[in-house]
Amino acid sequence: MPFNMNRRGILRAGGGLLAAGLPLPAFAQGATPPKPDRIVVNASGGSMAQFLRIAYFADFEREHGIRVVDTSPVDFGKLRAMVNSGNPEWTVTEIGGQDGDRATEMNLLEPIDTSIVDLSKYPDVGRKSHIFVGSAYSTVLGFRSDVFKDGSHPKGWAEFWDVRRFPGARSLRNHPVDNLEFALLADGVPMDKLYPLDMDRAFRKLDEIRPHIAVWWSTGAQPAQMLVDKEVVLATGWNGRFFELAKKQAPVGSDFTQGSLKSSSWGIPRGTRHAYWGQKFLQTMTNPRLQAIYATELSYAGLHPDTVNYVAEELRPLLPTAPANLEKQFWLNTSWWTENGQKAQERWTRWMLQRG
Amino acid sequence: MQLSVQGIVRRFGPVAALGGVDLDVAEGEFLTILGPSGSGKTTLLKTIAGFEIPDEGTVLVGGEDVTLAPPRRRDVGMVFQNYALFPHMTVAQNIAFPLEMRRRPREEITRRVEEALRLVELQAFGQRLPRQLSGGQQQRVALARAVVFGPRLLLLDEPFGALDRKLRESLQLEVRRLQRNLRLTTIFITHDQEEALIMSDRIAVMDKGRIEQVGFPGDLYARPATRFVADFLGESNLLEGTAKGGGAELPGFGRVPLPSTQPDGPVTLLLRPEALRLGEEVEALPCRARGTVIDTVFLGLSAKLRLRLEGGPVVLARIPLRPSAPPPPAEGDSVTVGFSAEDVHVVPRT
Amino acid sequence: MSSPGHNREVIARRRERGLLLLAVPALLLLGAIFAWPVLRLLSMSVEGGTLAHFEKAALDGLYVSVLLDSMKIALMVMGICLVLAYPVALWLSRAGRVGLALGMFALLLPFWTSVLVRTYAWLVLLGRNGVINRTLRDWGWIEAPLPLLHNTAGVLIGMVHVLLPYMVLPIYASLLRIDPDLPRAAEGLGAPAWRSFLRITLPLSLPGVSAGCALVFVLSLGFFITPALLGGGHVVMVSMLIEQQVREFLDWPFAAALSTLLLLATLAIYALIGRLTRGARLATQ
Repeated sequence: MPFNMNRRGILRAGGGLLAAGLPLPAFAQGATPPKPDRIVVNASGGSMAQFLRIAYFADFEREHGIRVVDTSPVDFGKLRAMVNSGNPEWTVTEIGGQDGDRATEMNLLEPIDTSIVDLSKYPDVGRKSHIFVGSAYSTVLGFRSDVFKDGSHPKGWAEFWDVRRFPGARSLRNHPVDNLEFALLADGVPMDKLYPLDMDRAFRKLDEIRPHIAVWWSTGAQPAQMLVDKEVVLATGWNGRFFELAKKQAPVGSDFTQGSLKSSSWGIPRGTRHAYWGQKFLQTMTNPRLQAIYATELSYAGLHPDTVNYVAEELRPLLPTAPANLEKQFWLNTSWWTENGQKAQERWTRWMLQRG
Repeated sequence: MQLSVQGIVRRFGPVAALGGVDLDVAEGEFLTILGPSGSGKTTLLKTIAGFEIPDEGTVLVGGEDVTLAPPRRRDVGMVFQNYALFPHMTVAQNIAFPLEMRRRPREEITRRVEEALRLVELQAFGQRLPRQLSGGQQQRVALARAVVFGPRLLLLDEPFGALDRKLRESLQLEVRRLQRNLRLTTIFITHDQEEALIMSDRIAVMDKGRIEQVGFPGDLYARPATRFVADFLGESNLLEGTAKGGGAELPGFGRVPLPSTQPDGPVTLLLRPEALRLGEEVEALPCRARGTVIDTVFLGLSAKLRLRLEGGPVVLARIPLRPSAPPPPAEGDSVTVGFSAEDVHVVPRT
Repeated sequence: MSSPGHNREVIARRRERGLLLLAVPALLLLGAIFAWPVLRLLSMSVEGGTLAHFEKAALDGLYVSVLLDSMKIALMVMGICLVLAYPVALWLSRAGRVGLALGMFALLLPFWTSVLVRTYAWLVLLGRNGVINRTLRDWGWIEAPLPLLHNTAGVLIGMVHVLLPYMVLPIYASLLRIDPDLPRAAEGLGAPAWRSFLRITLPLSLPGVSAGCALVFVLSLGFFITPALLGGGHVVMVSMLIEQQVREFLDWPFAAALSTLLLLATLAIYALIGRLTRGARLATQ
């Protein structure tokens, strides 16, 4: 049977490569491995899964005739356990927060095969050896547009800190990530000189704003909700949440000035059976037309520079990757956080406990 | 009257648990309310104690109207069926409870608790918890607790129900002795007629929410006012006949002379089993019948025989046994039974 | 040689063994889902044969003070639950059939909603512009909004709401076990209702109170979603720190050390509650 022949051939080819000790991807020699009837893509779930299907899964299924089964949630521990067991169930998985670097370091991922996944047009932040950047999002400044009318809202963190010019209750995330950066920016550190973060200075600056923080938020839904309820008039939050409110015409605006950009990470668990089709799936995700569909729904735009052009004009200013917005923001340095996160968190908790 | 209950009615929905009860109890008297379960005796006791408020009627304790007074204002000591000792307090604390509630001085409480313990012979058990005592001891603690504060009335709700026969008998006597010594007006509830006969000055027999008869034990036994009392109290032969001209025609016995006041018509006659005689002495008696022994139960000092009389009715006879006498007739023996006219009681028809 | 007494003993022992056999599935399950993970946790906390994690957890004032704060919150929740739950339990124990059904329904309602929904409902009610503050302002009772949310008060309200049934049900059960003749006897012996309650009903319900307190206290210590959302970051529970160590930093040994400390502290409080109500439990057995 041709199918069997083919498989044996591949196995032999793979064995040969291993014997030669060449660090080449298994399919580099051009033979197309057989199509499975389905691949498993693990992501965050919820409404995000729904839009992933509309934007990417549907297209992939149409093009290759392979069903995409989605699972959730994103779980780093499970990824590690799967890879260590040698038989990962996921073909492709989203990787949360700052875990992308760690997954690479711990050798949990297949390298990105750039002969399949075309990253030639991608900016530097989008070209990583083992991580595919699915989209970018940003922590930005949200405000009540009926309190701060006609562009009179604070722009940048120095103004957020200025409680005399911009009075009212504020909310920050109950977490050191972003907040240390924002504090340093408020204290006058330029965006390109942030790292390594000067923690002493950051916490000193945070002391100033603390009395004005009514709520330290802990879930992404909170800042948007609190602005809607007028619990606070200024809050940091993920741009996607403010994007939703803007589409619903809520009196809440957001400003990208000095926003903290982050990328969502995707990877192929090392040793997964249909790694080749995983690469193919990531290639589908590079399509700017599809990225635009996803961005129109959630504002989380992919990094392909053409994506913005496929998005309706009135929505473009709300995308963190719009060229005008990109200029105003900085990329969060995940490797600094991977290294210093626990220490920073401990200090953060200690600082939160100081009554004052 | 230490206690006077007048026209008490208590309804639970459509059911009248008490249907107009009148009862007077004299100071120092030991009155037993006797009745089958469901006769309303516990409801009556609860009404006297204040746990039930009657729909109609009045309760007077020591001449004072307490119909609507809460239990704590009635000065009534009560011993519950299951004693209701406070399980988390020692025996002494249980007994001290009513005194503490009355805010007696500490020394007085100590002294009276000791007296009460001595009274029920539990001096050594003051520091025990109730569950460390036997059933009889618990019962005595409950009694001590109910009398320690000098109540105007002592209520006992079937307090011996859970005890074995021997213990029960000794406690019956003990309670009676205690009651006499303290001259405590006492209402005692039981469904055990033997117990009622042993303990009471007077007995009130209850049935279906009404008092059928109140009287001295001997009177009740010899001259029951109703068929129910006759049947409930002791063993009885209730013979139906027809009265005519100062006598009644009884099946088997023939004509029995009756008091001349008895009007003509159907009558019920009560004949206690011990009033029936057997053997030679029967010849001298005016009322005689022949019959066959159905069975014989040997009871030690006496024997109980069931007899089928010629002419139909079955009667119960109880005959004394003497060690020297011949054994009682056995099953299937033919015998002649008789009674004297003065042993017959006419049960009034209601 | 077998005497009758010996035979009886053998039979009794055999019956006991039979009953034990019936309990085996439950014991195995408990062992698998409870004892084994706890042992794993303990062993993880001393991974590599070092007590360094404990040293850090115990000597760093940060974790000790969070632990103490958490216990303070748990004790407050326990106290408020007790004060609120007792009258409810008392009422339920004396309610008729309809009252009991309605009461139980209302009481168990929070169990049928997810933690998140429940918590967001409180956000809507307690916020600066929430239902309560708006109503009070409309009625002119207050001028500035009451600080009900994003502070300790908010956390307490949210936690008490969820945990109240755990206090009510054991107390209700122990009240039902009290012979109704006991308070009746107390009244007959001269006690007004309130003294009968204090001297008889209350002490006899202490086993339920103790069980309820232990349950609520232990469960409180494990809460982290409700305090995080309703506390506005101003309330830190040790469970939040443990969760952070596990999820964010993958520092399982340190999380295990913190958990072990929490476990020890919990057991200590548990023993204390048991000791305080021991007499009552013995007496009512």
